[in-house]
Amino acid sequence: MADAPSALPTPAAIEVTGLRKVFRGRPAVDGISLSVARGRFFGFLGPNGAGKSTTIKMLTGLLRPTAGHVRIEGLDLERDLLAIKRLTGILPEELPLYERLTGEEYLQFTGRMYGLTREETRLRTDELLEFLSLTEERRKLIVDYSQGMRKKTALAAALIHNPRVLFLDEPLNGIDPVSGRVVTDLLRRLAGKGVTLFFTSHVLDVVERLCEEVAIIDRGRIVAQGTLDQIRAQREVGKDATLEDVFLKLVSADVRREDLSWIA
Amino acid sequence: MRAMRWAPERLVGLLVALPVLLLMSAFATLAIFLGVRSLATTEPELLVPLVSLGATVVGLFWLLSPLLTGVALSETHDVTRLLHFPVPARTLVAASLVANLIQPAVLAKMPIVLGVAIGASPGVAGWLPALLGVGLSFAFILAADQVATLLLHGLFRNRRARDVGLFVGLGLGFALSLLPVLFFAAGLPRLGALRALLLEWDVFSLSPFAWGVRAAVYAGRGDAVPFLAHAAAAAAALVACLAVAAVLVRRIHRGELDLGGPSSGAPGRPARMLLPGTIGALLEKDLRVAWRDPAIKATALMSLAGPLLFLFFVFQARGPEGVGRGLLMVAAFVGASSFGGNAFGLERRGIALLMSLPVERWRMLAAKNAGALVLRLPGVLVLAAAALVAAPVFLPAALAAALVAALVAAGVDNYFSILFPVSVPEPGQSLGAGGGRRGFAAAAMGALMFTGSLLLASPFLFLAWLPVQLGQPVLWLASIPLAIAGAGAVYAMLVAGAAGLLERREPEVLERMLSSAGDA
Repeated sequence: MADAPSALPTPAAIEVTGLRKVFRGRPAVDGISLSVARGRFFGFLGPNGAGKSTTIKMLTGLLRPTAGHVRIEGLDLERDLLAIKRLTGILPEELPLYERLTGEEYLQFTGRMYGLTREETRLRTDELLEFLSLTEERRKLIVDYSQGMRKKTALAAALIHNPRVLFLDEPLNGIDPVSGRVVTDLLRRLAGKGVTLFFTSHVLDVVERLCEEVAIIDRGRIVAQGTLDQIRAQREVGKDATLEDVFLKLVSADVRREDLSWIA
Repeated sequence: MRAMRWAPERLVGLLVALPVLLLMSAFATLAIFLGVRSLATTEPELLVPLVSLGATVVGLFWLLSPLLTGVALSETHDVTRLLHFPVPARTLVAASLVANLIQPAVLAKMPIVLGVAIGASPGVAGWLPALLGVGLSFAFILAADQVATLLLHGLFRNRRARDVGLFVGLGLGFALSLLPVLFFAAGLPRLGALRALLLEWDVFSLSPFAWGVRAAVYAGRGDAVPFLAHAAAAAAALVACLAVAAVLVRRIHRGELDLGGPSSGAPGRPARMLLPGTIGALLEKDLRVAWRDPAIKATALMSLAGPLLFLFFVFQARGPEGVGRGLLMVAAFVGASSFGGNAFGLERRGIALLMSLPVERWRMLAAKNAGALVLRLPGVLVLAAAALVAAPVFLPAALAAALVAALVAAGVDNYFSILFPVSVPEPGQSLGAGGGRRGFAAAAMGALMFTGSLLLASPFLFLAWLPVQLGQPVLWLASIPLAIAGAGAVYAMLVAGAAGLLERREPEVLERMLSSAGDA
């Protein structure tokens, strides 16, 4: 298999209905529903512990939902898990890479797992390593990589099979500004070519620049969804309000203004 | 205590272990007290050299214990983590020494220290100085351990050095653990020669580990001058050790003492995934990872020891005639050891990555099982070599028995790995790191499943063995292919069932694996 297989025609790349996950009686994700159109750059925001990573794990089949339905590219997550995995690429936040493989070996292994031929794998590995400035480090073990190099390797692995939908959990964490620009440009181009990007980040100005649509999750519930303009209108904030302003207002962030008592 | 609040099974474990620990400590104390007291009265000339030998051996083992067991260096030793606080290095070193002293495992040795002191001193008047002497030796062991651990911490900043250290340490520890078996298997030890060596040379008088206990013995005998000389030497050694530790803390932290630093990682050869297909790629990945992981590599090489020991006893017990049948038993043992391979254990946190791949689960299991079989090849090679030397005609049957037992055991192990998933610790982490334990219920179920795998394999083992019983080796031409085909069919059914089970339980497997691998 060279590229992602064809799937049922559907207007939405990601459809989520009533998704819920309960850990020890406490809901981590509490009945969220959202829809992401094909080729959209979709930002999924929330404070720490809001349920972002749990949602991504459920959307990628790595965590079984307590309730709810997920469809990716028209395929049902419960029934067509393997087919969905062929269509999607994942960049998890925790980066569980095989540390005792070299970066090059890791990409070759990943390519083979997605059914690419040896030649395709070799070609794409070379291109990805070059594109992400990892060529010089390609034969080092991943255990010796810096955090940024690991992130780029994981991103390359998520891209090697040319996925239709990309789930990116904090893709810019730990990446230097130069590589960050390379990565964001690449993501923009992917979105331009019809790849759907489901993107989480704490860097709100990056999200504001990249994402066409966002959903904000707080304590397991979606508190806003739409374009930034739509959210501004819904929440009656000023037209000049930044995403950060909207975000802080929506998640009821308790931003302390007073000084610490012992600091002179 | 805080950890136990959320893990009641640990509290139960501690409550069960505590009386055993106390009992063992009491038993060891009594045994050592009686031994020392008996030596002091019956062979007083041996007491000083023997306690010197004992203290030196204990000290060296303590010193090398992080390497010998291949476990993590204790965090309490890692004072470098505290260096950014405005506290003098000597205070940190002393505090760390006290922290080490009040660890349960160390506290459990206190009665033994007391036992040595009282054993060495028949009169009550000598108890206190004797205790001082033994205490000095004990404190020196702790301080020397601290110096060694600081050096190892510095050295292990380099990943390659850490890998080599772990591999060599594990191998050395394993070799040492085999020594008693070989010692007794080789016949009665030559204690007379050892006695002569100790008395004639008293080589351990030079060991600083021994100076304190030697002072204790002299105190017990009422020899004031040698007591004072040895106690002073032990105290000086202790102070020197603490000073070295304080200097090391400062120098390692400031980078003045370069013990390697972070590994730069030398460029290797171009990557080529050689094996064909998805199963081939998965297998190749597992083998590369295993070969580059010092703990797994050491474990694979250690698997040589089991068959070697079995063969040794088979040769000893049965003589050349019975070797053939013994070989078949050893072959079945080598094969059955595939049970317990823990199909997903080596993935550790990579399990999330593996499960995100669009690969049929039966392929995944087959690749994992193939990897487990390859890692058992050293044992099979030992078996083959023994068969070639002792009973060449048994070679095909022995290999067939190993293969059929391995196939069935690996097939059954898949179920155990899916029902009771647990991650193996990262290289250099302690065996209990991240709560990677399965518990009593899993152990009972494991025993049951292992028995089941032996029962399932038994018809095929019988087929491999039947020509021996009938005295017709030529029948192997039919029985061995039949046995392998039968075991292969059973394996295929087992894998198909396990793949279905994995598909249903995948999220649970992931959750359990990630939590046991220390994922928050």
